[in-house]
Amino acid sequence: MAISQAMATSFKVEILDGIHNFGTGVVRASTAADTFKIALYTSSATLDSTTTVYTTSNEVVGTGYTAGGNTLTISQVPTSTSTTAWLDFADTTWSTSTITANGALIYNSTQSNKAVAILAFGGDKTSTAGDFTIIFPTANSSSAIIRIA
Amino acid sequence: MLSAGFFEGDVKVLATQGRGFTPEEIAERAINKVISVGKDSHPTIRAQAEAYKAHIKDVILFYLKEAVQSDRTTIANRLRDAGHPELTKLLEN
Repeated sequence: MAISQAMATSFKVEILDGIHNFGTGVVRASTAADTFKIALYTSSATLDSTTTVYTTSNEVVGTGYTAGGNTLTISQVPTSTSTTAWLDFADTTWSTSTITANGALIYNSTQSNKAVAILAFGGDKTSTAGDFTIIFPTANSSSAIIRIA
Repeated sequence: MLSAGFFEGDVKVLATQGRGFTPEEIAERAINKVISVGKDSHPTIRAQAEAYKAHIKDVILFYLKEAVQSDRTTIANRLRDAGHPELTKLLEN
């Protein structure tokens, strides 16, 4: 017999599922997953860990892009491998678009557009009458887009 | 002390100019979602996995091309039905 101090892996998954509430929570209309969106931004935008909510300031403007961005599809609901909880989104594309973006914001449109993650592309990326696609990393515990380890 | 950390993975951005993605480009994306070969795997296992990955990619590519061709057939019929048979030539390779 032995006792090993640890954060329960199931707890990590349940955080991503919105099961636990240590502070001021929200009343949910249903048990369905929230709607998450991804918006694109130009190099003039200031986005970092202090970003709390989606903003239209310096959001991309161009053919094939609508303010607010694309709705993301959750391709893997919160799960765990070993002691890491993770989830995955399906790749998303702005088709027949002419846009230039330097980064993106993933946000929760169900919960008052609260920020989830800021993505830096490392430079301007441009589509011209073409497709602009964001490819999410491999869906596993060491690479997935959102992980709790 | 109990601790846990939140992490976010790195995304890639692919963009095209004056065209959409080719079946080959999409097959590459698909196979990387389906099969991930660890860089620390045993060389023999890795070689087998890479060979399997290449085979599956070929299968995905074949059916992507089939889907594109089939969709062009549907679009060509819609153009003909709309009275624009001459536009179907634009769909030919």
